[in-house]
This record gives sequence, C-alpha cells and structure tokens, in this order.
Amino acid sequence: MNEFWQQVVTGLATGSVYGLLALAIVLIYRSTSVLNFAQGEMAMFTTFAAWSILQWGEYWVMFPLVLVMAAGFGAFIERVIIRPVEGAPVLNIVIVTLGMFAILNNVATWRWGGIPKGFPAPPEIQVTGVKFFGEGALDIGPTVVSYHDLTILVFAVAIMAGLYVFFQYTPLGLAMRATAQNPIASRLMGIRVGRMLTVGWALSAAVGAVAGLLIAPLILLQPPMMMGVLLYAFAAAVLGGLDSPVGAIVGGLIIGVSENLVGTYTPKEWLGPDMKLTVTLLIIVVVLLIRPTGIFGRRAMRRV
Amino acid sequence: MLQLHEVVAAYGPIVALHGISLEVSEGTIVAVLGANGAGKSTTLRAVSGLLRPRSGSIEFEGQRIDRLSAEQIVSLGMSHIPEGRQLFSDMTVLENLRLGAYSRFTGLARSVREYRRRRQDFEAALKQVYEYFPILAERQNQIAGTLSGGEQQMLAIGRGLMGNPRLLLLDEPSMGLAPIVTREIFEIIQAINRTQGVTILLVEQNANLALEIAHYGYVLETGRIAVADTSESLRENEAVQRSYLGY
Repeated sequence: MNEFWQQVVTGLATGSVYGLLALAIVLIYRSTSVLNFAQGEMAMFTTFAAWSILQWGEYWVMFPLVLVMAAGFGAFIERVIIRPVEGAPVLNIVIVTLGMFAILNNVATWRWGGIPKGFPAPPEIQVTGVKFFGEGALDIGPTVVSYHDLTILVFAVAIMAGLYVFFQYTPLGLAMRATAQNPIASRLMGIRVGRMLTVGWALSAAVGAVAGLLIAPLILLQPPMMMGVLLYAFAAAVLGGLDSPVGAIVGGLIIGVSENLVGTYTPKEWLGPDMKLTVTLLIIVVVLLIRPTGIFGRRAMRRV
Repeated sequence: MLQLHEVVAAYGPIVALHGISLEVSEGTIVAVLGANGAGKSTTLRAVSGLLRPRSGSIEFEGQRIDRLSAEQIVSLGMSHIPEGRQLFSDMTVLENLRLGAYSRFTGLARSVREYRRRRQDFEAALKQVYEYFPILAERQNQIAGTLSGGEQQMLAIGRGLMGNPRLLLLDEPSMGLAPIVTREIFEIIQAINRTQGVTILLVEQNANLALEIAHYGYVLETGRIAVADTSESLRENEAVQRSYLGY
C-alpha cells in the first residue's frame, strides 16, 4: 500500500507541473484562441535566466525577479510577435509559435550551451519553527513525501487559488474574462481589449516560469528540458478542457498520477514503464471520446 | 447632444452609409427606422466607435468623436446596447452589471475615500437598475445565458445603464421578444428617458412601437435618410405608413 501512495504523491507533484504549464497554455488559448506551442520553451528560457541570476544572487531574490522578467517577456512576445498576426488564419499563428519554439531553443543553446546543468530546489525557510521547502522528506502517515514534491504541490495550489481570486474578484480579472468571452461587448464596456491580451500573455508566461523553476531540479536544466513536459501539458489542457483553468490543473494531476501508476503496476512484458506515455494518452483519447470538450470544457474547440 | 454630419461608413468595399446627417437633442428619444440592411445598426456602430466612419463627422456634446475608439467613447457618457444583446453569457447577471460600470472606474482607487466613493456610486447605480428591472435583482447570481429572452434584454439595458450614460444607443430592443414583453421593455425605456433624463437613440424594426415613445424619427433607406420628422408627422406620413407602419 505504501508503494501505491508513494506513486500517487509523486504523480501529484509532477502532475502539478504539467498542470501549471497547461494552465499557462489555457490562459492564452481562452483569451486569444492561440495554441502557444512555445509555452514550454518560454519556461525553459526563463529558467535559464533564473540560473544566470543564481550565479550572483539568492534563490528567494531570484524568484520574484524571474516572475517579473517572465511577465515582461510574455507581454513583449504578445506585443511584438503575436499582435501582427492577430486575426490571421490559425495555421499562420501556429507556425509563428512553432517558430518561437525553435528560436528560443536555439538561442538558449547558443547562450547557455547544451550541457545539462543542475538546478537547485527552493531552499529551506523556517517560519515560526515550521520547515518549508528544502531537502529531506516528510512522513505523512501512509507514505513519505519529499519536501520538493510538497513544494511543487503547494505552489500549484497557491497559484490556482491566487488566479481564482484574481479572475473572480478583481476588476482586471473580470475584464480579462470578459475579453475572452466577447471582445466586442468588452470594447463597449470600455475595456481595452489589446491591453487585456498583453496582460494575459504576461500572466501566462509567469505561470509557465514557475513550472520551469519547479521541474528543473527534477530533470536538469537544458534546452530540450520542457519538450516532454509540454507534451503532457497539452494533453492535460485538452483533457481538462482547453478553456478551463481548473481543468488544466486537474488534467495535469490525472496525467501525472496515471503515468506513475501505469509505470509501476503494469507488468513489463505486458505494458510496463516503457509504455506509460502510450497508456496515458490512450486514457485521454477515451475521455475525449466521451466528452469532446474535455472534463471541464464548455466551448467546442472550433479553431484547432 | 449628438450630431452626425455626412457620415459615410463601409464594411470593406461595401458602403453601408452614404452620407448620413442626423441630430439628437438632449433629453429626447430619437428613433431610427428602416428595413433590414438599411444601415440602422451601422449608424449606431459608427457613433459608438465600433466602426470607424470613412468620412464625415460625429460630435457628442460638442466634441468630435469620430476618430476615437469605442473604449474611449464609452467613458464620455455614452452606452451602446448592441444588436443581439451581446451579453457575457457565461457570467452571472451581477458580473455583467459590474462590467457595465467598468468604464467609470478605470485605474486603481488612489485613496480609501475614493474607493468608498466608487463603491457607493456602484451600489447606487445597481440599486437604480434593480428598480427598473426587479427581476435582475432576483436573478443576480444566475448565469446570464440561462435567462429568458426578455430578461436578457433587460440585463443588456441594465448593463448599459451601469455606465451612467447621458446618451443611450439602443439597437432593436424588441428583437425576438413576445409583444407583451416588448411593451414592458418599451415602457421602461420611456421611464429611463423621463425620470433620469437620459437621451436615447433607438433603432427599431417595429416602427409603430418606436414612434409611440420617440419624439423624433429618421427613416433610413439603403444607407440614406429618406424622411426625417417628428413622430406625429411620421405617423401621418402616407409613404411611411405604407412601408413601415403596416397600414
């Protein structure tokens, strides 16, 4: 039984990372109908930037700095690269994001090199005697959880809660949802639609950056590090419903856990760890056959 | 209050308005009548900034607005309630109304006092809207898309009123509604004009009903103004009767 819970908890942790990147994808998709294939590479890029900052700075100084930089980076991409192709046929925009994928990958290799680097997990903080983050593991009854897995879970939950409050209760969040739903009516309300899209990209890049910072300690920092994650993230987004932020996280968790369980419990001769990706994606196909808009999705996917 | 002078507007190569001049005086209800495709909605879209006129000028309270964007124009005190309502249909009634007030409160409040004043203004506007449309108060947490057609139209008007406009552009409020509901809504439109002094530019297919509450009317035919007169005279005008009033 311990083994089972162990796999579930680690699955939840990696699933949270898939979920966060999926969330980044969803934030952009639901407001602009753009599927951003470069989402993973943007996260990889900001993680490299974080690594550079870590050469002279503390982790907890770097962290907010990277989030701000990532937001600026996302806003810049929307303004300079995406805005000009806004309203172009879907295929054009897909090509543009694929182009960004290749460019970011190239630039990262050129600037930081292709050799994998170690990347630190968030270091320990003591708050009134309680340990947060850092090394080691915590015994939670049926199993033990590594602090880093816990950190990932906590971040995912915190970001989710933060975004929920932002979208539900702040005027800016409300305006962004309005823009996603009905841009023309939004303009009639006095909402500057273009600005909302820029904010959406900024937010999305920042969420993606967190995903990159949290996964890097587990998989080493290198230019292709996010490719696998991106695949899972897309699967998570589609599974949860491409227009649903909650769906993105839930989809990520389902994929993370099922991936782990399939890898552990199916016999090697039959399926085993080598086939875990196939089995996971098969589950998704079955779900989508039953609910084509994803678990939480409402809109049909028109443009993909 | 609102003056259009020789306004030409087009969708790509298709010219929808061939030089329209009209005037709306403060405190009145002005009806724009005409058949499908005559350019009624286009006129409103040009005024509210959704469609930039090709030439001609539009003045609102003495200020040129024909080069401003829709999001700038709304904050000048003009609400456009568009054709087909254009609600945020996945959001609640209250969220729609909050968005209606968006243009009044842009930017962060600079002080606690300002924040409180904004809250009060918002609550006052909300109370006013709920007085006109008590059903919206009952349904305030319901998803807008699940309302009946009449309630949706009420929400669209209520959302427009949340911006505290001096000029209301209303596009086909009767569209798709039962006669009894339409009548109720037109009574409220008239009340909004009478009690709050909100000026109204009303586009309507149902010419009978529109001329009942309007002071003045324009008849559009293929992007040109065919007749312009007071409501009484329009109702007695034989050509108008034959084409639009169903006599």
